[in-house]
Amino acid sequence: MEFSREISVAVPPEKVWAFLWDLDRMARCIPGCREAREIEPHKRYEALVSERVGPFKVQFPLDIDIVEAEAPSRLRAVATGRDNSVRSSVRVRLDLDIVGDAGRTSLSIHADVSVLGKLATLGHGVIKRKSDEIMTQFAESLRQALEDSRADAAAL
Amino acid sequence: MLRPFEIHQPEDVRGASALLGQYGEDATFYAGGTELLLVMKEGLVRYRHLIDLKTIPGLNTISYDAEGWVRIGGTATHGELMHHEIVRRHVPILTNVERKVANVRVRNVGTIGGNLCFAEPHSDPATLFLVFDAEVELTSQHATRAVPMREFFVGPFETVRQPDEVLTRIRLRPWGDRTHGAYMKFGIHERPTLGVALAVTLGGAHTTIEDIRIAVGCVGPKPQRAEAAEAVLRGLPLADAERRLDEAATAAAEGLDAISDLHGSAEYKTEMVKVFTRRAFRDAVVRFQ
Amino acid sequence: MISQVPAAPRPTIELHLSVNGRPHDLTIEPRETLIEVLRNRLGLPGTKLSCDVQVCGTCTVLVDGLPVSSCTYLAYEARGRSVLTIEGLADGERLHPLQQAFVDHAALQCGYCTPGMILAAKALLDDIPHPTLDEIKHYMRGNICRCTGYKKILEAIAAVAEAPARER
Repeated sequence: MEFSREISVAVPPEKVWAFLWDLDRMARCIPGCREAREIEPHKRYEALVSERVGPFKVQFPLDIDIVEAEAPSRLRAVATGRDNSVRSSVRVRLDLDIVGDAGRTSLSIHADVSVLGKLATLGHGVIKRKSDEIMTQFAESLRQALEDSRADAAAL
Repeated sequence: MLRPFEIHQPEDVRGASALLGQYGEDATFYAGGTELLLVMKEGLVRYRHLIDLKTIPGLNTISYDAEGWVRIGGTATHGELMHHEIVRRHVPILTNVERKVANVRVRNVGTIGGNLCFAEPHSDPATLFLVFDAEVELTSQHATRAVPMREFFVGPFETVRQPDEVLTRIRLRPWGDRTHGAYMKFGIHERPTLGVALAVTLGGAHTTIEDIRIAVGCVGPKPQRAEAAEAVLRGLPLADAERRLDEAATAAAEGLDAISDLHGSAEYKTEMVKVFTRRAFRDAVVRFQ
Repeated sequence: MISQVPAAPRPTIELHLSVNGRPHDLTIEPRETLIEVLRNRLGLPGTKLSCDVQVCGTCTVLVDGLPVSSCTYLAYEARGRSVLTIEGLADGERLHPLQQAFVDHAALQCGYCTPGMILAAKALLDDIPHPTLDEIKHYMRGNICRCTGYKKILEAIAAVAEAPARER
């Protein structure tokens, strides 16, 4: 399943790039993210993401590998995880492209999501809609956090 | 084999609700189990305590009250609904819809309350109830509230029911003489690809569409009323309806956010919603003759 | 050294039910489905398991005359009730009319769906003794057969119905 979002913020590309590596602040933008840890800077991370649809709850411990990082314009990551209690796994390929100038940056988010296992019996439509919702929340949280960071900088 | 659990047998709704409150997320209400046991088998949910609502006397009764509403108990099975005289007399379209829910074995065991509360997006009765004046009664150990059917469904597998609330009853007002309706369902799998419910009320000696209600199920995240479609037809002289029917059907199909899956591609579903909306309207109108 | 923590005792319930006319008193776990009790505890393997999600009808048994999917029906629900499985149809060596009709009309090939088919058909004929072909089809919808193409099954059921089936 593929999803795309684009956000525009009044922050220069370098600041957006720097924000992406701020683990705490990024983790807070990811819906359902409970914990996040850096294993190897700019290369490997771990996170725990919980979600629910009605009575169905999942918890995915994710291994996140940074596949490509070209400052300040391009980031590619792959996150994989498995929830054994519902015998399902998830794999997300995330592509972030940053374009902008000193005044404004446009961040394109592209995600390719696969959900395999028992969870799929809920129906493709349900999973697709939920993933779509999560993407929207992520994009909006990211946009808000980036705008807030601008306010922080201005306050200093 | 299912994981181990205990079964509790409350004597009344208050007791059932209290038990749920006591065991929290480890517990769930259990009636027919035709949806619950499946997801428990899949391992998608884990409950150690099942609270059997069928041991509560009177929770499955079907009656016609003094104000002219049909009342259906939450633990009434599809089979009981489809055979009941009160349903046949006052809401015959529900008899027909219940006849076609799932298969004969599920109809013998599955309950209407369970069907609505599980909120599987492909529910036939849920779609049908949306074109009636209908409400759901939710009772916990602390309070009772009535929720209009249109507000009950939130999304796939999600309703406004709180975990410790029992769906005790559905109330619906039968159609009058000037209203007829149709329910069309289509699909090849166990669960239908789409369901269209439609009710039309004629006024002015059967020459104008005084009111029209259209609901589409299975295609979107929850069954919903097609208000844009209704607006096209409401108030029209009946003679003009046929001319505007395509427009209404198209309005019903749009904004459903159809998703391609095993039940069909998004385009196919959208097209079929149009087809069945037109058929449902013509079917309903024919019944006036 | 690994110290063993004793597992919590699993809940059990007493189950009294009648199967094919015989009473049984069992101690079971609440989680046991009816098919598990029939096959594993009562030694009645005639009820077959197939899809395990109550869709195919193979595991159909009659509880107080009503067909249920025994794979998705807790044995607890059969307490105080009478269950009929395929083993309960024949009278000694004499096949039930439905069983005989299935044989006579070649309404089975591998035979796996057959117990469920016959029991569903019995419930149909007990409910509607003179069903039309449409009524037979509607009732039997939900019992799936991979071998026969259904025509022979419908013929067998129609043959047993007291009046010849005809399309109204």
